Amino acid sequence: MNIAEFKRDVWGREVLLGVSWDLLWVIVALSFAFIALHAIGMAVLGRRGPKPSSDGPRVARHAAVDRAFHWIMAVSVFVLLVTGVLPIIGIEFAWLTIHWIAGLVLTVVVLFHIVRSLFWLDLKSMWIAPRDLKEPFDSSVKPGKYSLAQKSMHAAVTVLSLLVIGSGLVMFAMIDTPWWNRTNALSESTLGWVFFIHGLSTLLLIATISLHVYFGLRPEKLFYLRSMIKGWVSRDELEAHHDSSRWSAGESN
Amino acid sequence: MSDYKHIGKDFTPPDVVGKVTGKARYAEDFRADGMVYARVYTSPMAHGRVVNIDTSALDDMPGIIGIITADDVPAVEAPGAAMLTNLPVYIGDPILAVAAEDETTAENALAAIRVDIEPLPFAVDPLDSLVEGGPDAREEGNVYVRSREGSGFRRIKWTPEQIDEFRAGREPTGEHAAEWEYGDVEQGFAAAEVIYEEPFVTVGYAHMSMEPRTAMAYWENGKCHLYASSQSQSFWMPGLARLLEIDMADIVLISENTGGGFGSKIGAYPMAALPAWFSKKIGRPVQLRITREQEYYVGSARVGFQGWMKIGFAANGRVTASDVFIVEDIGPNATGGDGSSAAGAVSLVYDPEAMRFRGLPVLTNTTPRGAQRGPGQNQIAAVMAPIMDRAARDLGIDRVEIRRINAANNATTVYEDQEPVTSAYMKEALDMGAEMFDWERRKQKPAKNGSKVRGIGIGQGYHSAGANGYDGLVRITPDGKIHLHSGVGNLGTYSYASTVRSAAEVLKCDWEDCVIHHGTTEAHLPWSSYQAGSNTSFTHQRANYVAALDAVDKLKQVAARMLGGSPDDFDIDGKRVFAVANPSRGMSYADAAAHAISLGGTFSGQEVPEDIHEVTRRSVENLAGSGLVGVAKDNLRKEGVVPGLAVAFAEIELDLETGKYQILDYVGIAECGTVVHPQGLAAQMKGGAVWGMGMAGLERHVYDPQNGLPAGVGYYQCRIPTYLDTPSEIRTGAVDLPDPQSPFGARGIGEPAMGCSVAAITSAIADALDGHVFNRTPVSADMIVNHVAGREQSFVALQTNNF
Amino acid sequence: MASFDVMPHIELYKPTELADALELADRLGPRGWLLGGGQDTYGWFKDRAKNAEAMIDLNGIEALHGIRETADGIEIGAATTLREIVRDPLLNERFAVLPAAAARVASPQIRNVGTLGGNLVQDTRCWYYRRGLACYRAGGNLCYADSPQGMNREHCVFGASRCVAVSPSDTATAMVALDATMVATSVDGERLIPAGRFFALPETHITRMTTLEPGEILTAVRLPARWAGKRFYFEKVADRDVWDFALVSIAAAFDLDGGNIGDARVVCGGVAAVPWRLREVERALRGRAPGADTGEAVAALATRGARPLNYNHFKLPLMENLVRRALREPA
Repeated sequence: MNIAEFKRDVWGREVLLGVSWDLLWVIVALSFAFIALHAIGMAVLGRRGPKPSSDGPRVARHAAVDRAFHWIMAVSVFVLLVTGVLPIIGIEFAWLTIHWIAGLVLTVVVLFHIVRSLFWLDLKSMWIAPRDLKEPFDSSVKPGKYSLAQKSMHAAVTVLSLLVIGSGLVMFAMIDTPWWNRTNALSESTLGWVFFIHGLSTLLLIATISLHVYFGLRPEKLFYLRSMIKGWVSRDELEAHHDSSRWSAGESN
Repeated sequence: MSDYKHIGKDFTPPDVVGKVTGKARYAEDFRADGMVYARVYTSPMAHGRVVNIDTSALDDMPGIIGIITADDVPAVEAPGAAMLTNLPVYIGDPILAVAAEDETTAENALAAIRVDIEPLPFAVDPLDSLVEGGPDAREEGNVYVRSREGSGFRRIKWTPEQIDEFRAGREPTGEHAAEWEYGDVEQGFAAAEVIYEEPFVTVGYAHMSMEPRTAMAYWENGKCHLYASSQSQSFWMPGLARLLEIDMADIVLISENTGGGFGSKIGAYPMAALPAWFSKKIGRPVQLRITREQEYYVGSARVGFQGWMKIGFAANGRVTASDVFIVEDIGPNATGGDGSSAAGAVSLVYDPEAMRFRGLPVLTNTTPRGAQRGPGQNQIAAVMAPIMDRAARDLGIDRVEIRRINAANNATTVYEDQEPVTSAYMKEALDMGAEMFDWERRKQKPAKNGSKVRGIGIGQGYHSAGANGYDGLVRITPDGKIHLHSGVGNLGTYSYASTVRSAAEVLKCDWEDCVIHHGTTEAHLPWSSYQAGSNTSFTHQRANYVAALDAVDKLKQVAARMLGGSPDDFDIDGKRVFAVANPSRGMSYADAAAHAISLGGTFSGQEVPEDIHEVTRRSVENLAGSGLVGVAKDNLRKEGVVPGLAVAFAEIELDLETGKYQILDYVGIAECGTVVHPQGLAAQMKGGAVWGMGMAGLERHVYDPQNGLPAGVGYYQCRIPTYLDTPSEIRTGAVDLPDPQSPFGARGIGEPAMGCSVAAITSAIADALDGHVFNRTPVSADMIVNHVAGREQSFVALQTNNF
Repeated sequence: MASFDVMPHIELYKPTELADALELADRLGPRGWLLGGGQDTYGWFKDRAKNAEAMIDLNGIEALHGIRETADGIEIGAATTLREIVRDPLLNERFAVLPAAAARVASPQIRNVGTLGGNLVQDTRCWYYRRGLACYRAGGNLCYADSPQGMNREHCVFGASRCVAVSPSDTATAMVALDATMVATSVDGERLIPAGRFFALPETHITRMTTLEPGEILTAVRLPARWAGKRFYFEKVADRDVWDFALVSIAAAFDLDGGNIGDARVVCGGVAAVPWRLREVERALRGRAPGADTGEAVAALATRGARPLNYNHFKLPLMENLVRRALREPA
């Protein structure tokens, strides 16, 4: 199995064409295997402590604007994945225009999120500090606003999104749009790298998002999903999973 | 008509039957014991440097016999065409060849070989290279000048403003590399009533011979036997000897039939020598067959022009002055010279009182160029015809008449040196054509019929059509047969056969008693001119004539010796040599031949004249003692330029809505001295007509300037006209007035037969469009549609090698 | 890039029964290649620009040959040669636009062996793609033709999506004009596809010219009686009158209701990756009498929305002119 595919360029030289889409099935299989193993493991070995109550005082976790960002991003990524991947696996439809419009939406909201997180949000709350690394091994160490898993997920999504958006914008510049006509401004090997990065980051996003969705839907973590929909967690939930000394929830908006 | 026995009569050339039945053998049809099949790997890059060749994939591939690369063959000095190269200068430049037990294996090998090439800058349009900062097609420069004073690379650049000015149709002010002039050009323009300045483009296009240049070679007893596709036969020998780095005596060249050369197979070319080198390397006979695509690459192409022309006419229609500037697209190998030839043609066909030519041959990374039927003359014929028409209209002169006023005649002087012509009857040709075409009636243009308009055009073609100084060789054997040895190549015109008929004429023998020997060195052939430049008819009528005279002289000497008396007492006829006073005192040719053998010496070729060429000498030595040998070099008088002239009249019906036109009628008139072979001449005139129709409207090079790729490498993509694109009947005629410097009055016709055609069509198109001149060939349907719709053309002015 | 012209080693199946061919097509899928007259196939293989493990020669299957009258029109077997179509009396009587189109395909020699099916499903002639370059259509990342200096005289003015190739088929335009139904058969049975949906634009099928799926064989086309005997027009403008593909072609069918056009199909070839229906022209024609005036009135609608490339804007006036002619010429 190859990671990349190659082709001959206009002068017969071997150049990178892009990622090998055979990897898609590997990624999907690995993601599902992990999810299945995790689910089974949790079912068999999982500690079943008392479930924190969702009643009682509520603590604001995500502001409405951030929740809107998350869901717009989720929808655009979903659309991008569907329009990008289905034609590759043989389900053909007019995907390109939808794809780049969704891509532009994603770009805009991500830019918004970057600006907002730089100036309005607590950037450090998402930062992975050395102390966070003790979390998985020491049950007494509780996270601040975000768990290590969440931070890792966010870091991965950040890197992959930026890669997929960056490469996507370059590809966008290479097609006819209402604003410009396409050129062959990039050499075929450069273009190959762009396609490779776009493809590979897509594949890794598929894995990352699969896990994100899985964990989001896990019973013990459903309250996070609710917080991303409704914006709050209960004080109980907060105490159970977070260290309030490290996250002054009240201050969070 | 003459009362000649052979001259001016139709005959059946001996190879005709084979061509009709498929029995004719071409280079690809020959096999040798142990022969292997070679295929060539050609450059995918327009300009580059080979940095690595990885053939490791071939190591365990069964059936591979060997590989040959540039390191195994002699290097060719730039800008010459390389046999194999590590510095490809066009897409299709040969890099290596592989030999295998069968062709499929050879191709599998080509697919498996990895050649790394580092790209270098390239240019596919001369003006892109000429502009400051533009790419040079070769590292040595972007211009290559060939001149009597010396040849060499130059790097010439014009400012963007100079390029723009040229594109805008103004006189180019950029540097040029060649120039000649006669008369007082300034004064000529001062005396003109009307002056036209026109930019023009004639796009180059592939020769696309039907037969791709396959060759097969093997070595036996130190001799190289080579089966090749050639236009010429004996003329190939010195070039081949150079390519093979052996003596001419060690070469056996077999070329019985050739499927078209059109100027691309005139002299020995590298692709023919390659299998010989390969065979030497691997010790087995090698057949090298190339693909149709590769024939496009190495089979050469017509030189493209980007030019500017200024021409002045007096009120009476006489051309007072002309000023021609031509940027020539000479490809990567600096082959061409069309520009100066074009100007030379102007000096003859329109006979300006004063004229200047300036030329700039620019290298491009497109396929190598080569002489193609009327190289230069035919491009300029296409450009000139509509300009002549415009002048006629503006001056109120009939379009035929303005051409008559300027027509070449016996007093015309031509070229830079204002040389005389041997004879010229352009006026007579115009008159004959006008009559056959019914010009006076047809010029009353019918009304537009729906979207269709009629246009009539006149074209004039010219090429110098005769050389001298070659050898003739005839032989009479004791069986009474007349052996006519022809060193002329069989390129499809039958000139190898028609020219030896002048010997038959001199020997007053029947055609049935003649045997033509040609097509292989082993047929013992005399030294001959190349079969190009329309010269063969003139040149080899003469050579055969002098050889036959030598034979007649020897017949008389033999008779005198055997029967007594002086040779002057004898004459020949009826295959006998006999005393004039008493015709019964004589002997047959057969007996004379037997006596000649016993006499030896010069009679049977034991001794040869001092002045004959090495090739002829060797042939005579091989034939010595086999009969009475007539051999001589053509030392007849030849002064001045031998013109081949032709005139064409065409009527087209052009559909303004589709841009398509039908050629309704076509009349081609040859002015080539005495007609030697009427059917052959008619075929030449028709073939030339069709070719001209292709140049006028269809054929062209197309290159993508971004990556140097050619668009039309296939046969169909080259858009050669077909039966349905040409009139079902093409009428021809000939002026048939003898040239004084040809023993039987003949001059050549091959190239003008096409030049008149392309010109007649561009003239007719302009006529149909109310005088609109595109100043470009080909004029394609899209250009006409755009013009009629009032839209801009898609290309930039003076752009070439484009759609 | 080497240059090739020898047929590479390839398996050849010569089934005589459709069922066998379908089974082979199913088994081989994209590794197999359906062989009609071979006039396009052999070029691809000899150039090594495309390859397949095996060819399935459809010519020996009797059921794929012939022109048959059916309850609702005419059915033509996909392996019927173009020459047979040109000469068929029934087609000439009822659906003359199809023989007229078939008569302009390539050359007489090619029409003698070329099949209707092969002509309909043939691949584009984009010279970059034919060269074997890995462009979008060949699964790559770019288009060479639609580039600032690309030589794209023969490319599309409608329906581009990254790829700007055009459909080269002359008979395809006639099929769309006649509302033909394409019969795609596979081991799973028959799938009937209207001609208008049979040919595919690059926005959906960038690597294919039709919506035929691997394993499917175009076995027949059905011409509905709906258009039998109507007024037709076909014209192809190409550089030469032999061999060349259309710069622009037009196939039109007019259903006259009294003296006026009731319904019309006006389809251009050579302007898009599919036969391009001029729907605005068709709509505008309703209720008008055919003739020069009508042609003049609707011609400009033919090119509405066209996006010409650098070298092909001549296709716009040419299309408009062909519409004029279709309406002007008497039936």
